[in-house]
Amino acid sequence: MTQEPHPHSDKHEFRAEALSLWRITFAPATWALHFVLCYALVSLSCIHGTPPVAITRSALILATLAALAVIALLGWRSYRHWAPGRTGRLTHPYGTPEHRHHFLGHAAFLLAIISAIGVVFVALPLLVIGGCQ
Amino acid sequence: MTEHENRSPLPFPPSEQALAEPVPEDLRAAQVARLRSAWARPKGWRYWSSVNSSQVGKWYCLTALFFMLCAGVMALIIRLQLAVPENDLISADRFNQLFTMHGSAMMFLFAVPMFEAISLFLLPALLGARDMSFPRLSAFGYWCFLIGGVFVLSSILFDVAPRAGWFMYPPLATQDEGPGSDIWLLGLSFIEIASLAAAVELIVGVLKCRAPGMRVNLMPLYAWYVLVVGGMILFAFPPLIAGDLLFELERSLDWPFFDPTRGGDPMLWQHLFWIFGHPEVYIVFLPSIAITAMVIPTVARRPIVGYSWIVLSAVGVGFLSFGLWVHHMFTTGLPSLSLGFFSAASEAVVIPTGIQLFAFLATLMVGRVTMSLPLLWITGALAVFTLGGLTGVMLAIAPFDFQVHDTYFIVAHLHYTLFGGMIFPVIAGVYYFFPFFRKRMLSPRLGRWAFWLIFSGFNLCFLPMHLTGLLGMPRRVYTYSSGLGWEALNLTSTVGAFVIAAGFAVFVWDLLRPRRNQPDAPRNPWNAGTLEWAHDIPVEDWGVRSIPYVTSRYPLWQQPKLLQRMDQGRYYLPDSDEGARETLVTSVIDAKPVLIQRLTGPSWIPLVAAIFTGGCFIFPTFGLYWPAILCGLLAGGAILIWLWTATARPPRQAEKDAGLGLSLPTYASGPDSVGWWAIWITMLGDATAFSSILFGFFFYWTAQAQFPPPGAAHADGVAVAVAALALIASWALVVLARRTNRLQRVGRARAALITSTLCAGTGALALALAVWPLDPTAHVYPAIVCTIALWIGVHTVLGMVMQLYCLAGSLTGKLTPHHDADLGNVTLFWNFLALSSLAACAVIGIAPRLL
Ligand code: HEM
Ligand SMILES: [Cu+2]
Repeated sequence: MTQEPHPHSDKHEFRAEALSLWRITFAPATWALHFVLCYALVSLSCIHGTPPVAITRSALILATLAALAVIALLGWRSYRHWAPGRTGRLTHPYGTPEHRHHFLGHAAFLLAIISAIGVVFVALPLLVIGGCQ
Repeated sequence: MTEHENRSPLPFPPSEQALAEPVPEDLRAAQVARLRSAWARPKGWRYWSSVNSSQVGKWYCLTALFFMLCAGVMALIIRLQLAVPENDLISADRFNQLFTMHGSAMMFLFAVPMFEAISLFLLPALLGARDMSFPRLSAFGYWCFLIGGVFVLSSILFDVAPRAGWFMYPPLATQDEGPGSDIWLLGLSFIEIASLAAAVELIVGVLKCRAPGMRVNLMPLYAWYVLVVGGMILFAFPPLIAGDLLFELERSLDWPFFDPTRGGDPMLWQHLFWIFGHPEVYIVFLPSIAITAMVIPTVARRPIVGYSWIVLSAVGVGFLSFGLWVHHMFTTGLPSLSLGFFSAASEAVVIPTGIQLFAFLATLMVGRVTMSLPLLWITGALAVFTLGGLTGVMLAIAPFDFQVHDTYFIVAHLHYTLFGGMIFPVIAGVYYFFPFFRKRMLSPRLGRWAFWLIFSGFNLCFLPMHLTGLLGMPRRVYTYSSGLGWEALNLTSTVGAFVIAAGFAVFVWDLLRPRRNQPDAPRNPWNAGTLEWAHDIPVEDWGVRSIPYVTSRYPLWQQPKLLQRMDQGRYYLPDSDEGARETLVTSVIDAKPVLIQRLTGPSWIPLVAAIFTGGCFIFPTFGLYWPAILCGLLAGGAILIWLWTATARPPRQAEKDAGLGLSLPTYASGPDSVGWWAIWITMLGDATAFSSILFGFFFYWTAQAQFPPPGAAHADGVAVAVAALALIASWALVVLARRTNRLQRVGRARAALITSTLCAGTGALALALAVWPLDPTAHVYPAIVCTIALWIGVHTVLGMVMQLYCLAGSLTGKLTPHHDADLGNVTLFWNFLALSSLAACAVIGIAPRLL
């Protein structure tokens, strides 16, 4: 019941882990930034007229691609962190450092997917609605 | 030093051999006696000075239930008035007060506090802790809630209740005569602050009070939800508090934030309210999912399927729900592109919500389900919530919303989500956890009666409302004329409302009836796997007999010897050798033991502090400012006495035996201490409130062609610069004081503290001078500049009190080079203050000259 962790894995994992509770939130934070940017720029364009809506639209579509790229990167890193291929484990119910490590990776990976979906949803109106009306 | 080296001498994790060691019989008896006396609940009238979370949690639950019943009675009166056309049971004004109070009380006095109440009760047991880390803070929060709630609710008895709807839109609410709006603003702000206090307590509890070994991947799902919901409260309530502040400044000092004739904008309130209001819906809904996540594995008799998926969706919903608020403002004429963003985001949030439900269904499908009363309520919840969700998806489509906005369709939708997402699951939770709370069972027969009455009554009442709404009946009308085809529908709804009431009567009777002759419940009546079912029957107030070492998600299922060892005191802290209340503090990620935390015992000071804080909020509603200021000062004094006498005192022994050969420190400062985390979390909320005010500044800028107005007077540039410099200097000196104090240079540290207080005073003064010539009643620009300055000024004064507090501590031996927790916390406060002062000075000093 009381597995002493591998002496080596522990050493480097602790450093990785100190940040991992935070890291879980990075992908959603990207979504939030993207969202705020979309909302703020469109308000400016539609109320002040500067920058023009057409330019805002293209800029925001670019920003969407950038946000997706960032999230993809985060997702890829957390996928490696989760490492289901290497460990062959999809669930992590035990009280060992390995399980905790892979669990955090798994959660971060899933969140990256949700964030990507969120970004895509928010960006859809940019494609289908032309202007301020 | 690396983690591994620094851990190897510690006997943690405990070896099987150490755990198997029996505790001698007489020692065990002595330990039990000492623990019992340390945790004994005060007798007689002193009972009300209790602070431990089981007592406070119980009061909290019962009070929230009482407020809910009051709001329910108001709903019945509303329904009676609407039963027939052209009814004159109550006046239009009464009607307005009733629906405003019904909505406000249900949301602010029941839905959110109920979550905090249940969590306070449950969480220590779920985590295997003796208690949460700040018992007196919970008690303070409870008394604030009680005082504020009674104040707000009783206004309806005097015919002065708020009457502009639960979201208090200006200009209706700003121009409303009488104290109604002020009662809403001040009374509810007071309660929101109590809610924030409870959120801090709960978050710190989950992060730092878990049983040793309970790593993040082993936490009960309920704890994950507490973390998410606590975080949401932390980011959602501050915008509302900031909005309340602006609103109250407009009502009492005539600063024109929402008055378009002087540059204000009512839309700002709508934004601030709904940035709070939409996440609020999820703050109400997620705890119910949390309860479901505890009940489902038990009835399916297997571990939950998709633990990581559920955690992910909880966190995901928490985030996404902050991007939806404008869907309450579809009809305000915003650009269609902006509406599009929020419409799309509103659809996206369905995905993580769905994932949680599918994980539950999957667990039920692969398990061996035993039907029980909690499951019946959950099934009802699922049915009702699904319908509410469907109408929600319809409403998120902006053109459909244009059609039914402000009709009874909305009333139907919101009650479907609230009953399905809150009432039914919470009642499921009550049935499930009642044996834990009360050590007795509820009656299954009465439970089924209550369920079928509430379920059928609910559908009878609210299903027809969809149609009433589509037929055009607006919400919030006190009567309607006949011949519009609404009569039969309304009458049906009224009958349904009374059937619901009958169901509640059965439920509440079963809940509260005397139980002296009833046998004790079995210890683990549902055969659940989580730690709360290791509770003691008959009840003991010590939380757990000894704090277990946890290595699995369902310890009672997966660690067969755990319960016996807990009871025999073979785990941590089986004793209270100094006769004091203590619990273990563990590390955030892996729950390694780091500290034995001394907990505070019964005291009147939280009640005293709450009474004065209440006065500070309640007197201004009647324009009595001097008594309010006096109360504020007394409240501050009470809180200082409380902190001084009971927190971060140097302990008698530096280290103590925690059991199983583990010796742990008894004092910590910085991130190892719970106080530091509490300040961190509080300041996050505080910074959010401040950002909301800054958001206001930029909102005016984006929404107006000319902001600041041409030729407007600005804050004095030189004075703003001096303020910025002085405040930064003060911060740097606090940091320096902490350093030098650590290095044993106590004299220098004291000198730095004194100088820092002087600098802070200079900064506050300079800021006041910078905005002195402005006239905040003339236009919204000077008004918001003054508000920003006021915010920083008040925080600086607080910061000065803290600096002097540390100085006093240093002079009297409370704060020493080794025992510097207070100084660590004050440094943290000043980190935040320094950042916000810089932001404030940039916004009032530089931005207007650039824009
Ligand atoms: C006995 C059960 C209930 C009945 C019969 C009921 C009835 C009603 C009715 C008829 C209205 C519309 C008033 C109007 O627009 O004129 C209303 C509004 C509302 N109800 Fe309920 N309700 C019940 C329970 C709840 C619960 C449990 C909650 C929340 C947890 C809730 C929250 C609200 C809110 C937020 C409003 C909007 C108030 C406003 O327009 O400002 N209700 N309720
Ligand atoms: Cu909403």
